[in-house]
Amino acid sequence: MTYPVYILSASAISPQHSFYPGNFPDPVVHTDDGQLFITDIDYTRYINPVAIRRMSRILKMSISAGLQCLKEAGVEKPDAIITGTGRGSMTDTERFLIDMISLQEEALNPTYFIQSTYNSTNGWLAMKTQCTGYNQTYVHRGASFELALLDAQMLLQEGSAQYALAGCFDELTRDYFFVKNKIDYWKKELPDSLELIQNSHTPGTIAGEGAAFFLLSSKKEQAAAVLQSLSILNDPDAADLSEQVNIMLGNCGLSYDDIDLVLTGMNGDCRQQYIYDVITPRLAPGTTIAVFKHLCGEYDTSSGFGLWLAIRLLATQEIPELIIHRKGAPGKIKHILILNHYILNNVSAMVVSHPL
Amino acid sequence: MTDRIVITATGIHSALGTGKNEHLASLRAGKDGLRHPVHLQTIHAGEILLGEIDKPNETLTRMAGLPGNNPGYTRTTLLAMSAMAELLKDADLCTLLRSEPFAFINANTVGGMCTVENMYPDFISEKQTGPFTQYINTLDCAESTEHIARHFGVKPLMATISTACSSSANALVLGARMIRQGLVKRAICGGCDALSRFTVNGFRSLKNTDDQRCRPFDEHRNGLNLGEGAGYVLLEKEPDAVQRGATVQAILSGYCNSNDAYHPTAPSPDGSGALRTMKGALDMAGLTPEDIGYINAHGTATISNDDAEGKAIEQLFSDDIRYSSTKPYTGHTLAAAGIIESIFSIWALQEQIVYPNLNFRTPMLEMRTTPVTTLLENVALQHVMSNSFGFGGNNVSLIFSKS
Repeated sequence: MTYPVYILSASAISPQHSFYPGNFPDPVVHTDDGQLFITDIDYTRYINPVAIRRMSRILKMSISAGLQCLKEAGVEKPDAIITGTGRGSMTDTERFLIDMISLQEEALNPTYFIQSTYNSTNGWLAMKTQCTGYNQTYVHRGASFELALLDAQMLLQEGSAQYALAGCFDELTRDYFFVKNKIDYWKKELPDSLELIQNSHTPGTIAGEGAAFFLLSSKKEQAAAVLQSLSILNDPDAADLSEQVNIMLGNCGLSYDDIDLVLTGMNGDCRQQYIYDVITPRLAPGTTIAVFKHLCGEYDTSSGFGLWLAIRLLATQEIPELIIHRKGAPGKIKHILILNHYILNNVSAMVVSHPL
Repeated sequence: MTDRIVITATGIHSALGTGKNEHLASLRAGKDGLRHPVHLQTIHAGEILLGEIDKPNETLTRMAGLPGNNPGYTRTTLLAMSAMAELLKDADLCTLLRSEPFAFINANTVGGMCTVENMYPDFISEKQTGPFTQYINTLDCAESTEHIARHFGVKPLMATISTACSSSANALVLGARMIRQGLVKRAICGGCDALSRFTVNGFRSLKNTDDQRCRPFDEHRNGLNLGEGAGYVLLEKEPDAVQRGATVQAILSGYCNSNDAYHPTAPSPDGSGALRTMKGALDMAGLTPEDIGYINAHGTATISNDDAEGKAIEQLFSDDIRYSSTKPYTGHTLAAAGIIESIFSIWALQEQIVYPNLNFRTPMLEMRTTPVTTLLENVALQHVMSNSFGFGGNNVSLIFSKS
């Protein structure tokens, strides 16, 4: 959908030090076991300690990221809360499931069950902000976050909200990694996470997790970025994708030459590289190609980290060497194309621009 | 004036059966679909009553039009496919699917948990291969959505929503909005959930299930019975329906999504959340409370829901408002509840009937009104409201109007 919405603030909890991103990406976090877990933050700044004790990781990280995003924009109560998550709380789901099996369906703790429901973060964010407005949770694998953004675009265009808080969160667990390894999600020989993209000749990727929130508005004041256009594709072939990107650029009044940076969700899996190979040959030589999944790992809503990074780059106007895949011409970063593919063939494209 | 969004096709599968005739026969006769579960392998089977669909997966596979021996399809997906097959039995629709842009908006709460919970020990064992690997990717809520969109060729948009018990009511709202925004011309919206030990035990651990038949709006209500099912409706703009000669079954004239912002699982006790949502739907439809001839209530028969919803109904409507919960018939089908009850509401308009609230005996102390307890026929219904209120404070009210 091409309808420009302004992003007033963004916050991300990720494996990197993104929450207080002073020197981002330094100090960089990396791993050689294929599992990038988030760098914890001080959750007591957002949630009272009594509640924290019973809360699962995903609730802590998503509530904190959501509240920090609002704080940065100086908005206490949004008009709508819309999120996307592929997995919800894996920890609670696994815990309730394993208890149910081992305790033979007796004496189960309801907290795990409650927290396993996919919309529990939304309920908490509504309570914390006293937002009684529109509230929605998308659970569609690699399109979950994009659907939340699409809904926010629609709400703002309908005029039924001034501020829409849109976000995403997904959680990695040791069991999740173990189970998905049986269906070849991950690389058999795990490189250091920072070497992920250099290992794109073999199948598999590395796992990650994170939460990212964005405050969207149809008003330009104080905007950090503008999301000009968003596309969600399912099982696209090369022709579908290149046609869709052409349409998006056209709708934004842009051409490939105007794109300063393409931020790709390349995840080191040779089976999925074809998606990016559709677009990269069309880019102008001056366009920089960058990557981000070596920093956050692969997960259903990793494009949320991608969008956070794009906004960061627009603000700092500096592209760290660590994310550069192909260096383009130096110059101001005005337009970024984010291109993402998730393991189960959900593909998305976003045009994110400097607000001026 | 914007074009009206209308419903032109339905598909439904619940413990009452499939299709309009089977459902209406039970609804009119006051005959519920609850039983001790046979297909769900739970140690509580002898104690609990569930709205379990009486067909084994093999039968569902056939109904869904799939060849036998289809590994990789969970009961959740099979239920959804059987309801979709009914919706798409109209050949014209299948032609449209190939030529025009559709959205498929599905709602679900636990994905293929019904299968995964039986295989999970294999998932986390040292075993690397085996039949279980075909189900590793079925735990997430989108697995049924993706299977259906691919199998029936619904494109280009698909989405899966999970807002607990209001999930499929939200699917309708999203479909209508996408059509209004011009993202797609038509949308197939609904939801599905199969019974799982995970959910049965989850609700039992919360102590809000009744081992007897549930008693919505009764002073002695003691919780819900869970159920399983799936339902889908086709939404399009009225002129598009007229142009292709489709029969308009009802108009989706109002909807509202709002949040209680009160508690993770309990509704605001004064009913203010439910009240806000019902008011929002009326405002959108341009209707007053007097215009609503029947409310198909959320009515789970939990202590807190019926208390909050009942108070909200009494605050907004006059004391002669007709309302009932049809959950005693089907059980609470979670992500499918909103759509199944929407379809019941559409049929109420078409047949001009109001369904009885089964198992009601004693009026609630807190309430002046009581639900409808006998089948009402020849009721002049113009507008029907359907409520869906969920965990996380996720509330949706929908209003359907006679075409």
